[in-house]
Amino acid sequence: MNALANPEVGKYLNEYFVSSFQKVATFKIVGNQKQGGNVAAYFCAPDGRVLHVVAGPVNAQTMLHEAKWVVETTRKAMEVARGDGARFKATFRKAHADRLRAEHGLVVEAVTFDPPLDQDDKGALTYRDPSGRPLAPRLPPPPIDGPDVTFRDKQEAAKAASFPAIADRKGGRWNLGNQGRVHQLMAAHCLVKIEKLYGTVFENILGEKISTKPVEVVTPFPWVARKGRE
Amino acid sequence: MRIPWRRLTATLAAGLLFSLGLAAAQAGETATCGNHGTSVEFVDTPALAAKKAAKEEKLVFVLHVSGHFEDPRFT
Repeated sequence: MNALANPEVGKYLNEYFVSSFQKVATFKIVGNQKQGGNVAAYFCAPDGRVLHVVAGPVNAQTMLHEAKWVVETTRKAMEVARGDGARFKATFRKAHADRLRAEHGLVVEAVTFDPPLDQDDKGALTYRDPSGRPLAPRLPPPPIDGPDVTFRDKQEAAKAASFPAIADRKGGRWNLGNQGRVHQLMAAHCLVKIEKLYGTVFENILGEKISTKPVEVVTPFPWVARKGRE
Repeated sequence: MRIPWRRLTATLAAGLLFSLGLAAAQAGETATCGNHGTSVEFVDTPALAAKKAAKEEKLVFVLHVSGHFEDPRFT
């Protein structure tokens, strides 16, 4: 993570955030090379509800920009909400929808009300991983309404960059990179707890498989090591 | 003029102990599990980060990695 080695990024994060890390997936070591693996950075409220995500490795400038956006948007949302949690959530989700429109040229309707969930995490019918925890759900992103023609250049840039295709609700196909997909997801699921969101980010956006398995070490010529031991 | 070595040694020792105590107290206040080759100070767990953030009125930054974050070669 070169971005986090940058002194300016470190100074800003240390000033406004308390940081920690978790290992959520595995990778292979073939010879001395790492294969696979990824990273996601979550900016959260102190109660673990996610305000923003940076999916995948980014440079120092992008990391700093995203961290500053979180702090500034939190300030604005607190001013607007005046202690009302529902309004704070709606403001943040609208901010994500606005960034999707302005920076990626696509329109989604921010979901400002969460219907009550009927899933019981403690019920006998809930699937669990071997450690007994419920599986991380795959949260559905809100449907894309279509392009915002005033930001047509953003979509053309995304197409030129060969970002993966995504369909809108009318069947039109557009291109959207990782960070655009984050804004799409957060327009509906911002301020959801990190344990409910990380599965969607790691598997649906980054294309990684969540795992708590240890690192798999693959030696291309196992007989060499075996011969050495004999 | 005679130098009171015994008193001087005692004063120096007291000063040294005070500075060591102060340094230890300061280290205790900002207890982190290190920066792992970055410029960011990390605490041990997200739960601890959340508790500290609530106390200091800060936000929480959680990094999810697939790798040995402690080993920069595999991060």
